[in-house]
Amino acid sequence: MSKDVKDYDVYEVFSQKEPTGKFESQFSLLAPNADVALAMAQENFMRREEVPSNLFVVKRENIHFMPPEKRKALLRLDNKDYRQPSHYGYIPSKWRELKEKNAPKASV
Amino acid sequence: MVKKYNTPEEAKQDQQYLDTLKELIFQLADDDLLISHRGSEWLGLAPHIEEDVAYSSITQNTMGHAAMLYELLEELGVGKADDLAHLRKPEEYRNARLVERVNGTGDYKENPDYDFGYAIIRNYAYELFKKIRLEALQQSSFVPLADTARKIKREQYYHLYHWEVWIDQLAHSTDEAQKRLNNAIQKTWEDVASLFDLGPKGDQIVEYGLLESGEMLKKKFMDQFKAKMENSGLIWPGEPQPLSETGREGRHSEEFVDALNHLSEVYKMDPQASW
Amino acid sequence: MFKPEITIHSDDPRVQEFLERIENGEKIEVDDWMPDDYRLQLIKLIAMHGISEIMGAFPEKEWVPKAPTLKRKLSLMAKVQDEVGHGQLLIRVAEDLMHPLGKTREDLIEDLFSGRLKFHNVFHMPAPSWADAALIGWLVDGAAIVTQKMLAHTSYAPYARALKRIILEERFHAYHGEDMVIALGDGTEQQREMMQDALNRWWPALLMFFGPPENGEIKSNQEINIRYKIRSKTNEELRQEFLDKYVPQIRALGLEVPDDNIYYDETKKQWVYTHPDYTYLRDVIAKNQGPRSQNRLNLRKIGFDNNEWVREALLHNQKAIS
Ligand SMILES: [Fe+2]
Ligand SMILES: [Fe+2]
Repeated sequence: MSKDVKDYDVYEVFSQKEPTGKFESQFSLLAPNADVALAMAQENFMRREEVPSNLFVVKRENIHFMPPEKRKALLRLDNKDYRQPSHYGYIPSKWRELKEKNAPKASV
Repeated sequence: MVKKYNTPEEAKQDQQYLDTLKELIFQLADDDLLISHRGSEWLGLAPHIEEDVAYSSITQNTMGHAAMLYELLEELGVGKADDLAHLRKPEEYRNARLVERVNGTGDYKENPDYDFGYAIIRNYAYELFKKIRLEALQQSSFVPLADTARKIKREQYYHLYHWEVWIDQLAHSTDEAQKRLNNAIQKTWEDVASLFDLGPKGDQIVEYGLLESGEMLKKKFMDQFKAKMENSGLIWPGEPQPLSETGREGRHSEEFVDALNHLSEVYKMDPQASW
Repeated sequence: MFKPEITIHSDDPRVQEFLERIENGEKIEVDDWMPDDYRLQLIKLIAMHGISEIMGAFPEKEWVPKAPTLKRKLSLMAKVQDEVGHGQLLIRVAEDLMHPLGKTREDLIEDLFSGRLKFHNVFHMPAPSWADAALIGWLVDGAAIVTQKMLAHTSYAPYARALKRIILEERFHAYHGEDMVIALGDGTEQQREMMQDALNRWWPALLMFFGPPENGEIKSNQEINIRYKIRSKTNEELRQEFLDKYVPQIRALGLEVPDDNIYYDETKKQWVYTHPDYTYLRDVIAKNQGPRSQNRLNLRKIGFDNNEWVREALLHNQKAIS
């Protein structure tokens, strides 16, 4: 790159609470490279949090945000409960009902 | 097999052991107190904001370690932790010379002309030594001390890593940075031998199985420090000069007396008051 | 400095659209289109807020090595570290806003040294005793908390996100400050005297903290900031909130509010008090002529200049890989 470097790069910091958890964005910091960014990350943004199980940093220019005019692409109608387990809430009681209805008749 | 002492009460039964143990814990506590005092003077003056925050965490951790060790002394009946940290006479402090040195010239409130290169190398040397000493302390015959060492070591890992990152960054950058690090190594070397000194009760400390010998600590330190310097293309300064006088016997610089006056100024106004 | 072309008064349709978004309570992101004066007001406000956190570390830092007990040494260090951390968060937000103008953190620091960027009036004041450290933690933080709670509703989302983190930490700061002053206020005669002295010393600066009242002669950018929903309350409203919370605490400690004329007007539901000399505020801030202005600028400058070789070395590495 031929830009006139006046200051450090921006790194975004992400942390993971536990090994099975997802990474979440913390904040950003200035650093000359990833090694320095990693060495600064926890003490700058997670001094009171529980010790995270891992961290990563990404140079801001390598992160691509939805541009403002395309954020409309994130919208959708609220008519998709067929994707939700709660939509099928009648099932447990239906099973009970069916079991009762079709139970083999006690032999006399 | 050396005898283990499981509790402060057990240690208190054996006067000679107790005296030796106290001597050692004062060395550990005073080392941490002084280096973190120097760290606290750096607050707000680091090369960039993010480093200011990170360095302050190390300083806090270390002050926290000092507090744990003074509390151990309190449990041994030596006195109140805050009194021990603030009210002793200068000649009663047992820290190594290296940790009491000023950060540079000038007053921390007015014109602190501090050298970050020296901060990196002095802290790296101290933390490397501390790691080696903590590892040895985990076998200590005084079980509460071994437990404390184990706890401290867990968060001390970051300290060493932090200063290593700085060495790695700067050693391979500009000529100026390299030169400054090499100068800082020279300056650190003037006092480095003070770390391995176990003081007037050194022999008993080893005989009682409280800590391994100063020579052992020194050998491990030198091997690891040398490897780091060589990997970083920095100049290995060789065997340090032997000590002329030792902080472990309570002989300190004037810089130390100033530091002590600062850190105890308010507490001394009224040690009975609650602050 | 960059001249705002498109402002709240322009008849550019984008400005109307922008104001509608603000009206609807929408939050603005760094990459959204924004009028130039919105960007400028934000930079001005957030850069000053951020640099004040950094400069505000110095008066308290004077007492960090001297804090009386091991516990106080630890908690005060943690508190001052947080303030530097707040500076980091806020200055990052300002840097992202300055980025399209080709400016960086380095420029911001230069602006501080040249006097173009101001830092908050309270941090130009001396802190000659331990009780000043306690008072700063209690009332200067108290004043900052009142302001920051209001700013947390700002229309600019990155600022709001930084403030969210800051306000969480300020909950510790509030208790930390109260813990220190309770020890002194409820302590020995000597400690109580120290505390009252510190309060007398700081009272005018604390009232000035919120800036002149809107009917005063000194102009401020409050109006435009309120229309843009960068802020939602006036200086005087904030000062009243501060008095609501802290006058009772001062009295509970058995201290005296250093204003013979202060009282609460029950009918108007507000405090009536002696206004400080707001022109002093203008002089201290605008000209860096407060008692400790030059000392604190100098500290920052020493820290900056002495470490130039470090930043240069790291930038050297950064260029090598980019
Ligand atoms: Fe703050
Ligand atoms: Fe605060």
